[in-house]
Amino acid sequence: MELNVISYSKITNNKVIYKGNEVSIQRTESSWFHDIYRSLKLSYPKFFKMDHLSKAGFLASELLLQEEITDRETPKKDIAILLMNRSASLDDDRMYQKTIQDKENYFPSPAVFVYTLPNIVTGEIAIRNKIMGETSFFVSETFSPKQLYQLSVTAFTDPDIKRVICGWTDYELNNCDVFLLLLSNENKEGIPFTINNINNLYK
Amino acid sequence: MDALILELKKEIIEVLNLEEITPEDIDENAPLFGEGLGLDSIDALELIVLMEKNYGIKLNNASEGRDIFKSVRIMAEYIEKHRTK
Repeated sequence: MELNVISYSKITNNKVIYKGNEVSIQRTESSWFHDIYRSLKLSYPKFFKMDHLSKAGFLASELLLQEEITDRETPKKDIAILLMNRSASLDDDRMYQKTIQDKENYFPSPAVFVYTLPNIVTGEIAIRNKIMGETSFFVSETFSPKQLYQLSVTAFTDPDIKRVICGWTDYELNNCDVFLLLLSNENKEGIPFTINNINNLYK
Repeated sequence: MDALILELKKEIIEVLNLEEITPEDIDENAPLFGEGLGLDSIDALELIVLMEKNYGIKLNNASEGRDIFKSVRIMAEYIEKHRTK
């Protein structure tokens, strides 16, 4: 099966990369993610309700898909989403724990609770783009190009799937490491999807 | 009442992360749900938590919120009558 990387994006604590080029972000006193959101001129108020992991994944997906998905209204059954990370939803789990820690001040936050699963980020990307293909999320101790390669190839065994958004979306304790790839089994242009190339693009 | 309405608008913006909305943007007589602010069911639960945490008002069931959260003004009137802190 011939698969090609037709787009890729990366967000770290201080850099935003799209197809290998650094994206200029106007820094303000606001948070890093909010500065990225405004620099990309996005308009999606639900973004502000997301946890850090979803914000990071969402922003990387907006970059990734900017030239590929222009119609957000039509349901897309031919795209799957497959993401991985190391920290699961620990960042949000800790935040939720704080809301239930003190018996005298016990106010569990529903808005925080809904993000205490790492796969919510796949749902946020799917909802935004009306992606109806399968979504999956795996937790792995380290970033493994081999695992990412094998799982992504498996996603294409579904005959309806023509494109896969795959990658690594990790956020914990203010450390952001997000790397997304858009794969296609139809588009002959792009970078061949191999373990080596995943490694090279991630660096 | 006006002071409570303003306080409530600020609290709603903060707890619901309505980042790009200012108190002046919220019409105290407009419905909170269904249009305008575009709030969802999770936001409704957050408002229930806000009522208890900030004003000591415990709603016994979520359906009570349907009447109380009709608008900021109705919410403020309810708070003024029932607040314990």
